[in-house]
Formats: sequence, structure tokens, C-alpha cells
Amino acid sequence: MVDDVKTKEKEVTLESLRKADDNLRLPTVPERTLFPKEIGIAAAREQTPAVGQRATRPDGRLHGLGQTKYIDDMFFPGMLHAKVKRAGIAHAKIKSIDVSEAEKMPGVMATLIGSEFPVNSFGPSLQDQPLLADDIVRHAGDGVAAVAAVTEQQALDALEKIKVEYEELPNVFDPLEAMRDDAYKIHNNESNIYASKTIKKGDVEQGFADSDFIFEKTFTTQMVEHVPLEPHASIAEWDANGRVTVHSSLGRITLGRADISRVLELPINRIRIIATIVGGNFGGKNEITTEPIVALLAKKTGRPVKCVYTREDEFISSTTRHPFVMEYKTGMSKEGKIMARKVRLVCDGGAYCSWSETTLGKACILSAGPYNISNLHVDAYAVYTTKTMTGAMRGFGAPQVCFAYESHMDDMAAALGIEPLEIRLMNAFHEGSASPTGQVLEAVVVEDSLIMASERFGWKEWQK
Amino acid sequence: MIHRGKGIGCMWYPIGFTVLANPSAATVKINEDGTATLLTGTVETGQGSLTVLGQIAAEELGVATDDVHVVSADTDTTPMDTGAIASRTTYVTGNAIKLAAENAKQILFEVAAPMLDVRPDQLEAVDRKIQVKYFPQRCLPIADVALQAQFVMGRPAIGSASYNPPTVGMDPETGQGKPFSTYVYATQCAEVEVDDETGEVDVLYMSAAHDCGTAINPMLVEGQIEGGISMGIGFALQEEMLFDDNGLQRNPNLTNYIMPTSLDMPEIDVDIVENFDPTGPFGAKGVGEPTAVPTAAAICNAIFDAVGIRITSLPATAEKVLKAIKEKQFGEEQKALPAAE
Repeated sequence: MVDDVKTKEKEVTLESLRKADDNLRLPTVPERTLFPKEIGIAAAREQTPAVGQRATRPDGRLHGLGQTKYIDDMFFPGMLHAKVKRAGIAHAKIKSIDVSEAEKMPGVMATLIGSEFPVNSFGPSLQDQPLLADDIVRHAGDGVAAVAAVTEQQALDALEKIKVEYEELPNVFDPLEAMRDDAYKIHNNESNIYASKTIKKGDVEQGFADSDFIFEKTFTTQMVEHVPLEPHASIAEWDANGRVTVHSSLGRITLGRADISRVLELPINRIRIIATIVGGNFGGKNEITTEPIVALLAKKTGRPVKCVYTREDEFISSTTRHPFVMEYKTGMSKEGKIMARKVRLVCDGGAYCSWSETTLGKACILSAGPYNISNLHVDAYAVYTTKTMTGAMRGFGAPQVCFAYESHMDDMAAALGIEPLEIRLMNAFHEGSASPTGQVLEAVVVEDSLIMASERFGWKEWQK
Repeated sequence: MIHRGKGIGCMWYPIGFTVLANPSAATVKINEDGTATLLTGTVETGQGSLTVLGQIAAEELGVATDDVHVVSADTDTTPMDTGAIASRTTYVTGNAIKLAAENAKQILFEVAAPMLDVRPDQLEAVDRKIQVKYFPQRCLPIADVALQAQFVMGRPAIGSASYNPPTVGMDPETGQGKPFSTYVYATQCAEVEVDDETGEVDVLYMSAAHDCGTAINPMLVEGQIEGGISMGIGFALQEEMLFDDNGLQRNPNLTNYIMPTSLDMPEIDVDIVENFDPTGPFGAKGVGEPTAVPTAAAICNAIFDAVGIRITSLPATAEKVLKAIKEKQFGEEQKALPAAE
């Protein structure tokens, strides 16, 4: 009798133990959601005319129900996982890379180093960036080798077995120092300045001479990461005809296809890129990153290969927002009219060009602000440093120069005793104004936006 | 002590690439029931662009947004597009789609004209109908015309087109030229509180008035502006990638790289400035990037108004603001003391 009770207790305990163990091992599977056969449509999507309607997004329902398939949600039979080894040293010559130990690790199916790419360079304006550094490391996040293994953990473990011998090179972190003639030349060019832009309009010296007051100030901004929710990710798979399909988080598939064609020396019609839905871009996903790496690893192994950046990869190896040094000098009349402006922009271009040239160009044009300035001179430079490369990011240099020209504007307004809103209205572009590049502007609503935002704010009535 | 301040930031921003060609192509297929499929090579990166592009196609075809299914971002099936960059999607891709839809619609007009006893150029597509301009009672459902086109006339209504913004190259010496087809303008105002004992800045309220030409979808424009402001607040006050003396990043994670969360967001009022750009699709320009541009300027000007210090280097972290406040106080104390002879 006593024994019987004990056995029962034991049975129950074992079962519950096993259940608890299962719960630990298996991910919780949510209850299956049954979708209604007839899906109600938000009224705005059924209205004509369509323009101006507050139409809901068709992907909203998919996102809400977790049906959207991002790259990390996709699995293919036999798919391998790739990981990239980062240099971890800012500037060095690579003396040797030894992947032999990594290849012996369990689950490892292939390794890859930069010299295996038919063409190991890419970039939208200058092709100065290697897919995996094979000669010189120019920032700590440079990839030096990649591994494809059955699981992500096996790939990560194998990375630790890759031995790279470095010979340190001098670091150049400050863009102003990098501009000097005696600075170490990061790309072995004549100068670390790799792009420069100029805008000249009117006679800036005469403008300063005609001004009642001259104001000068230097502004700087920091390096910022895009931090999209979905990190850079891709999956590559080859078919028997030698065609590669790449599922990718790229925001520019046509350019991505051309770049893959160039680095793999493959005709464009043998490459297919599918991007479908991307979990945030903000400018950071405009270039190839993992795509050629997974494509080559997939070719070497004959299996689909996926690579998803970790958040750390995202920070240390993907593009970022350019830090700027912005020197402003503005001549004002005592009534508050801008008479002349001279601007010098230096943008910290990081280790590789990426979208720096475009960023510099836009910053240069926009640096005068939305104001009528007849005498303007802007000089802008992009400079290599041995830091994480900077590239396209929401605003292409505009948030940096806007911070400078608007801060400068308020300083001058305060010195002249003019209301900040008034000084802007006095100088703002209007219909038919000529831009710093001499373009006649149309559909200009600077004044309207100033009035609208300040009225909504209650600018005039506002009290401390 | 807490000090309040107000600040303003105004900006302009171009749509599309600087001078360089950045074309978009599109294909619009009208199905035999009057619904349509749009093929575009651009990528939905979370901003809602496919909804806006669908609305543009729908508007041109005279149907509703839901009648257009958008297929995107596959290099095998969709036409060439420069992609989701430079705030160009609504303007450049939108223009290509409008032209493609116009081409597809032209086939419907040619098929409908004899059915309605008029010339094709007398027709317009409105409310899912093909109707005679200024005589709307003579009309046919678009579905009937599409069916006639495909199964009787053997002319399925498909249109393709491309668009590239017109620019003029810049002079290398002076930079003079027409680098962009069009620009947008915006102003944001910020109200902040600055604690002079800790240097902490709290953004309480922001108003934003953005020009995007015609707002194809005002809800998505508002969403972009609110998102841009959150990015702008991070740029103004918190976000910074830090490096050690060896060039290694010190904060490559979301624990130490501080970004705004929902709790950092102020109350925001968004206004869309009424505007119409004759070169854009139905007068539209773009809105993506500019939303993040003037925020930091407005906040830093509000800090200046609150405590009288000028932040010249971003981000305006509490440490930086406090240091500037202390320096200013110290300077004023020095001035207050009689000069030592």
C-alpha cells in the first residue's frame, strides 16, 4: 500500500520532469492563428481618387501577424551559416592568413579569404573597398575571412581558429590631421583627401567688406549608426545552370546585382536578387556587404549559405554617418540680411569612400541653408581615416550642415537683437530664388513652413 | 533649476541624385476585371513606399488603392530601379509609374472609344469607369473595357515607362549647375527643459511643418516625420559611436550606444505644407530623409534659449551641456568680481 503510493508519486514526478525538460529545450510554439477567409479592408484603400487617401499598408497585417518573412526567417534545405572574422586592429598589413585549423573544426564546410574573389574591390564612386581585406586592414571592422558551417555556433567557433599575422601601420583618426601633407597615406595616394567640392557664387570678399558684422564659428558632429531593426542579411543559392539567387536586405537591388557581377565576374543575367521586404534601411543598405561572401561560399559548398550580421557586426563593419568639421564665417548687415558666407567642410570619410563623395556634394550645396545669399564660397573635403567607414545615411550630410547653419543663424540673431523667426523670414528662399548653384527654384515654401510650424508651436505667445 | 527654452530649425533638401542619372522604370498591367498589377524594382524598406506607389498607379487608372497589387524588388521580374535612396522613390519611381499607367490606360481608351462613340482623347478614367470628359453619363465600367481589350480586341492593357530627373552638370570650378530637379523645405520647432544641475535636456514638444509637394498618403507622411524626429533627437542628444586609442569601438551594442526610446519622444504636432510641384507625380516630391534634418538644430537652439549656452559639437549630452553651463557661470562670476590690480 505504502509502496504503491510511492510508485505513483515517482511516475508523476518523472513525467513532469520530462515535460519541464521539454519546455526548456523546445521553443514555445504559439497557438495556430486562424485567419478569416474574408479580410476586411480599411475604407481608405477602397476610395477613389486614390491620391490623398490615408490608405493603410498592405504589409501592415503581415507584420502584425508575424507573417512577414525577413531573411533570418528563411530556411532552405541543407542551408549553411556564414560568419565573418573581423580584423580587430585598426590599421595593419596582413602578413598571412591561416584557415587550415578552422577548416578542421566540426561542421565547417568551407572558408573564404579576400584573394579568392575574382575582383576584390567595390564601391559606388571609388572602388577602394575590399570585400574581405587581403592585403591591408584599414579599420578594425574590416572582414579578413569567412566561414560557412552547419550551425551559426560552429561557424563562430571556427572563426577563433583562423590565425592572421599583422604588421601594424600608423593610425590616423583625426580628419584634420589626416589632411596634412605629412600624414600617413592610408590608401597610398598622394593625399588622404579623396574628394573635394567647391561652390562659388558672387564675390565673397566684397560681400564681407559690405557687411556690418562678421560672425565666425566652428561646429562638429559625431559618428552615428543607422541601427535598422533588421541587420544586413543575405542568403545565396546556385542552381545547376550556374545561376545564383541572392535573397538580400539590400535597398538597391539593381546596383547590388551590378556589383556582384563585377566582383564575381559573372554576367548580370546569371544573378537574381530578391529583396521583397527590408527591415529598415536609412541609407545603410545601399551597398553589397555579405552578398558576394555568401555567393562564393555557396558555390564552394554547393549548398545555400546564409549570413546575418550580429548587432556588433552592424556597428563595427557597416557604414555610419559622417562626422563633420564645419567652419562658418558669415557677414551680416545690421538689419539682419546675410551679405556673404564662407564655409569650409571637412568630412571624416573613414577607411573607404563608400557614399562619401555624394554626401560631401550634397552637404556642400545645402550648407548655405534655405536662404538667399548672393556671395557664397564653400570648400568641402572628404578625408580617409582609419575608422569605421562612413557612407549614406538619411540626409547625406544635411543634418550636419543644418545643425551648423541654424545654430549659427541663432547666434547672429541674438547678437543683432533680432527674433530668430524674423531673421529667417527675412532671408528665406522664395519662389524664383537662385540656389547656391544658380538653379532657379520653384514650388518654394520655406516661409510657409516657418509660419506654419511656429504658429502650431505658439512661437509668439510662448513664455518661459 | 529647470529652464525652459524654444528653438527653431529650418532646412531645404533635394530629391534624387546629385546630377547623376538615377532612373526608374515601371510596368503596369491592367487585369481583365479592371484591377491592376504594378511591377517596380524599388525596395520597401519599411517606409510604406509600395503603398504610395500603388496609390499613384491607382490614381492614374481611376481605380482604388486596393485594386492595385504591387510586385517589387526582384531583379528577374521587376524593371530597373535605382532603389530606395536619396528620398527619390515617390518622385522618380512615382513619375515612372504614372507614365506606365498612362500608357496602359491609353490602350483602354482606344478600345473604349468605339464602344462609346467618341475619340480616345475625349476619355478619362475616374471611379473605376472610363467616361467621356464633361459628359460623364456616357461611361463604361473599367472592367468591361479591360475584358473587351483582352478577350475581344486581343490587346491586353500593359504599359511600361521610365523616368529620370532632369539635371544640368555642375561646373568643377564654381559648382554652378542644376544638380537636382526639385527640393523640399521644412521647419521644426522644439520646446525643451534643461536641468542646470545635471545638464540633462528633455525635449517636451515639437512642431513640424514639412513640404512634400502633394501628400500622396498623409498618414505615411506623418509617420515618416515622427520617425525622422526620433532619429533627429538621437543625433542631437544621445547617439555617438566612441573609439578607444587603438581605433576599436567602445560601444558597438545597444546597451552602451544610447538611442531614443518611446519614453524619450516628445509630443509631436505634424503639419503638411500645402504645395504642388508640377514636375512630380500629381504634384508630389518626397519626404523620407528631410524629416531627420532640422531636429538637432531646433533642439540646440532651444537649449541656447533656455540656458544661454551654444552647443557646437553634437551630441549635446548631459555632460557636455553641464560643462558649458558651468563654464558660463564661472565666466559670469569672474566678471562680477572686481579686477585684481
